[in-house]
Amino acid sequence: MHIDWFVFLAQIFNFLLLMYLLKRFLYGRIIKAMDDREAKIAARFAEAEALQAKAQEEARLYEQRNQMLNEKKEVMLNEATMAADAKRRELMEKVREEVDTVKTRWQEMLLREQDAFFYDLRQRAAKQLYATARKALSDLADEELEDRIIEEFLRRLQALDAEKSRQLRLAITGGGNRVTVQSAFGIPAPRQSQIEEVLKKQITNGFTIRYLHEPDVVSGIELRVNGHKIAWSLNEYLETLVESLTETLQKEAHAA
Amino acid sequence: MEVVSLNQISPDQVILWSWNFITINVTILYTWLVMAILVGGSHLITRNLSSEMNVSRWQHFLEVVISIIRGEISEMTKKGADHYVPLVGTLFLFICVSNVLVIVPGFVAPTSSMTTTAALATCVFIAVPFYGISRNGLLHYVKEYFQPTFIFFPFHVMGELSRTLALTVRLFGNIMSHEKVIGILLAVTPFLFPVVMQILGLLIGVIQAYIFAILSMVYIASALSAEDEAHTAVKKEGSGA
Repeated sequence: MHIDWFVFLAQIFNFLLLMYLLKRFLYGRIIKAMDDREAKIAARFAEAEALQAKAQEEARLYEQRNQMLNEKKEVMLNEATMAADAKRRELMEKVREEVDTVKTRWQEMLLREQDAFFYDLRQRAAKQLYATARKALSDLADEELEDRIIEEFLRRLQALDAEKSRQLRLAITGGGNRVTVQSAFGIPAPRQSQIEEVLKKQITNGFTIRYLHEPDVVSGIELRVNGHKIAWSLNEYLETLVESLTETLQKEAHAA
Repeated sequence: MEVVSLNQISPDQVILWSWNFITINVTILYTWLVMAILVGGSHLITRNLSSEMNVSRWQHFLEVVISIIRGEISEMTKKGADHYVPLVGTLFLFICVSNVLVIVPGFVAPTSSMTTTAALATCVFIAVPFYGISRNGLLHYVKEYFQPTFIFFPFHVMGELSRTLALTVRLFGNIMSHEKVIGILLAVTPFLFPVVMQILGLLIGVIQAYIFAILSMVYIASALSAEDEAHTAVKKEGSGA
């Protein structure tokens, strides 16, 4: 086979030239473009990884913050609940106190009304009893009820023991030797004399006596001297009656 | 009947212009044509290269080609593939384009000229020691020819020459014979069958280009690896002592 040596050398030169030109126009540029792209992709990956790491870190921080907020919320909620409970208890206590006060006031008022009622009842009952007893006594016996009362009063004066007599004596002396006798009715002069005699005999001499007509002394007679009192009246009986009546009424009220 | 004249057995015989020893024949003309296509096409495609994600189809095509060449080289040399891309890539592209253009009527592949294949094989023949010496130094390279003993020196030289000759003749034989077969078949069965042969010829042309480039790389790589191994063995001995 014939080989033209000029063509042979020319082909070697051609090949080397082609190699140079392709290196300049093809390989260099293409490889550079590919390497650049690879570097860019690597950079993007690195950036993405960094961003991912950052995002994970931020997510962790967010989670942590969220947890802290939750805990804080829990604490605040507990505090608020406790404060609300305390406030509720305080208000309840206050209301209870107010209710107690109102109740006490109401009970006091009730008691006052009750007292007033019973006082009034006693007065009326006594008057009625007095009138009834008087009517009965005057119907049954032929003597005045007042006489009986005075009799009873005199009997009491006479039945005074020594100690009581002494106290009365001292009282009369300390009270300027004045004795007051109150009665719901007028005392006749003979009966006044009897009273004075009994007093002189039983207690002392040298005093002035004053008779007062006092309707409040219900169907009775009483002797007052410087804070001491000797009396007989329907009040004693009426008080017993009123007590028993009060008890009965209260039982009724409770039952209601 | 003369199917193919003796002058047509090689495009070297078709002389276009001649002055003294300077001869311009069809081989050189078509070589220039292939060079113009390769360089012009490369320039056109690579003048607006993009390193972004959106690239043109032609750039994609070239990147795929270059990536395959780099990959093949990397498998053999393990490192520094870009260093050998110009030689191996140019061998592949030049031979491949030359062989594929055969389907153009009137075109004669420069690779069907033994002058061209011999020139290419000579380039490889020179490139092997060039890369070996440039990488590991002259002494190491020369020492390889005397391994395992000096008696092997002639065999090494013969091996170098014979494989260069093999490269030359393999490519030349394949392409030239194919062209001649096509020519003969056109005379015998002008319809259909030559088309099938043309298709087969395209396949053979690409395969031959691949074989030439890969064998060149194998020769270079074998020289490099042998030197690397020897170099490593010497280093180990030195460190062991």
